[in-house]
Amino acid sequence: MRFRACPHDAEVKDVLHRGHWPHSCAPEIRAHVEGCKACRDLVLVTQAFRSERAAASAMARIESPGVLWWRAQLRRRNAALEKIARPMLGAQVFAAAVMLIAATLFLATQVKQSFGQNSSWFSWLLSWVGELPRTFHMEVLLPVSMQNSGIAAWLVLAAIGGAVLLSGVLVYRFSDER
Amino acid sequence: MPLESAISTVLAGEALPLACTHMQNDAFAGFYERSARPLWAYLARVSGDPALADDLLQESYIRFLGADTPDDGEVAARRYLFRIATNLLRDHWRRPRQRSIEEMHEELFAAADPSAQSDTRAMLGPVLQAMRPRERQLLWLAYAEGYSHKEIAVITGLASASIRLLLFRARHKAAGLLRQQDFPRQQDVSERSSR
Repeated sequence: MRFRACPHDAEVKDVLHRGHWPHSCAPEIRAHVEGCKACRDLVLVTQAFRSERAAASAMARIESPGVLWWRAQLRRRNAALEKIARPMLGAQVFAAAVMLIAATLFLATQVKQSFGQNSSWFSWLLSWVGELPRTFHMEVLLPVSMQNSGIAAWLVLAAIGGAVLLSGVLVYRFSDER
Repeated sequence: MPLESAISTVLAGEALPLACTHMQNDAFAGFYERSARPLWAYLARVSGDPALADDLLQESYIRFLGADTPDDGEVAARRYLFRIATNLLRDHWRRPRQRSIEEMHEELFAAADPSAQSDTRAMLGPVLQAMRPRERQLLWLAYAEGYSHKEIAVITGLASASIRLLLFRARHKAAGLLRQQDFPRQQDVSERSSR
């Protein structure tokens, strides 16, 4: 197949576009189309596609424009909310990271200070846990018999663990509700 | 829209201004009435799937309303809408496998159930099925919608110079298929029966 553009192509297109084909166009154009294969193809294909467009357009199931307008609004609002929430999430991550670093540094300094006096990790941990109630003056809340035993320290640890667990559950529930 | 005003608007539950600012609700309704049917016809005939055309039609308008559309009249807005729809069609075709549109098999583009097309009285149905998706797009935009080569280049993202040749080949192929089907006589019969 050789590509050869007909010089009358634009004229024929114009006649078709205006709906003048075949009865309202100049006789010379009709005569040209009769003898030109490219223009015959153009007329045939244009007529076929135009009638198909008319038939298909009539079959379209069109929704109300209001629904689409509302959906576009909704999508835009969600995008705006996401845009607002993004810096907040960033701030939360930053705060958590700072907390983690601070806690690690605190623990590291505590270990450095106390490690010289104790021979092993376990004994250091035990003594640190034993000191905890006294640090927070919590021994006054316990019976006298339990004040000097190791049970007090483990009770404090269990309370801290419970508080952490409870706050995690609360945070999860709160974010889930939002 | 600045973030501060977006926050207050969202929290107050007020309507957000759509990006398509020059077109208000009433103007959009008019534009939609005039453009939705031709757009649906384009999507349905090029994809060969009326259900997909329904989905893509809605998505096209939603994206159109959220985008910064050209503010130079309805013709430009309509062209932009067809561009969105063309991109959505291409994305849909690309989704199953990450391949180029030209490399994909013809079966992927056709409707799963051929009877879905027979009920449409589509005279062009068999011809369109025999064409490649890109050819269908070009032919529809050029001969059903009457877009120029330059406009088709904008809508499809193809180079303007290659449109001329691609369209010539597609037209030659379509004309051959239409003659095989005895198209003009078939059209006469369908017009007479509709009267």
